[in-house]
Amino acid sequence: MNAYVEAGYVVVLGTLSIYGSTLVARERAARRRLGVPAGPQGRDVPGKAQQESGDVPVPGPGGSEEHDRGPVP
Amino acid sequence: MSTPPRTQPQDRPDLALRVLGMTALVGVVATVWLGLFVTPPDEFMGNLVRLLYVHPPMAWVAFLAYGVASLASLLYLWPRTRAEHFDRLAGASAEVGVVFTGLTLVSGSIWGRPTWGAWWVWDPLLTTTALLFVLYLGYLALRRVPGEFHVRARRSAIGALIAFVDVPIVYFSVEWWRSLHQAPTVLNPTTHKTYVHGSMAWTLLLGFVSFTLVYIWLMAHRYRLEKLHDLEETQGLEAALEERRAEAVAG
Repeated sequence: MNAYVEAGYVVVLGTLSIYGSTLVARERAARRRLGVPAGPQGRDVPGKAQQESGDVPVPGPGGSEEHDRGPVP
Repeated sequence: MSTPPRTQPQDRPDLALRVLGMTALVGVVATVWLGLFVTPPDEFMGNLVRLLYVHPPMAWVAFLAYGVASLASLLYLWPRTRAEHFDRLAGASAEVGVVFTGLTLVSGSIWGRPTWGAWWVWDPLLTTTALLFVLYLGYLALRRVPGEFHVRARRSAIGALIAFVDVPIVYFSVEWWRSLHQAPTVLNPTTHKTYVHGSMAWTLLLGFVSFTLVYIWLMAHRYRLEKLHDLEETQGLEAALEERRAEAVAG
């Protein structure tokens, strides 16, 4: 096999493995900090915070959504 | 006799993501096995052709990721569809796109050294791809500029749309300018012919599908991480407000 070919595959697969593992590890660490056991975030987090960070539609100017983050300029 | 635990509705997305991850992994392993050990060497490129089972899929995924980021940004900017998840989706997709663009440049460079005799040439396709990489790095930096959520999300969405202008320039650069890089071999826009056949074509196709699944898996995890960060931010803000209120009451 060609050394360039081997190097190419190692770089591609190695980078994707490291990036994927880092994402999973960061996600687990964030879950631990928030006390989220498993599953999609927001749905199984107790308390008010889950409502505010869920996939809540953001209203346009003059919107009246209850969970609005603030006025949209 | 004990009954098996029932799957809760909130477990389904997790399970789906695991299945997707496993499918992507199997696909990538099959692509590597076919690419390195089953497909024949090319008549002109020899064994170097094996790099092309990963290089074009990297570029395709980068384009797809930027396309998704742009669409999500557009949906965020559109008042009727404006929602926080579109901003998160754009950010997650762009970050994964940057990783794949970096891999496109590096794998192309590794292929170019023995083929062209240089790690890098200022070819239109390479230069516009490097520009794309820098533009989206800038977009990711723009997302980190502090500010009120909607202001930050809106300027990021505009930034994503501006950066996307370079995507068609990259794709058509081999047609528009004299380029050292070969023209598309799978679907040539000029001749409308395919220049790859047999086991080589199937392996390349499998590479495209597998790395697309890898992209979806990575993006889903990045999206979830972003959502957790938002939640953390909200909780931190609430805790700080509670502290202030308690101080005000005590004072």
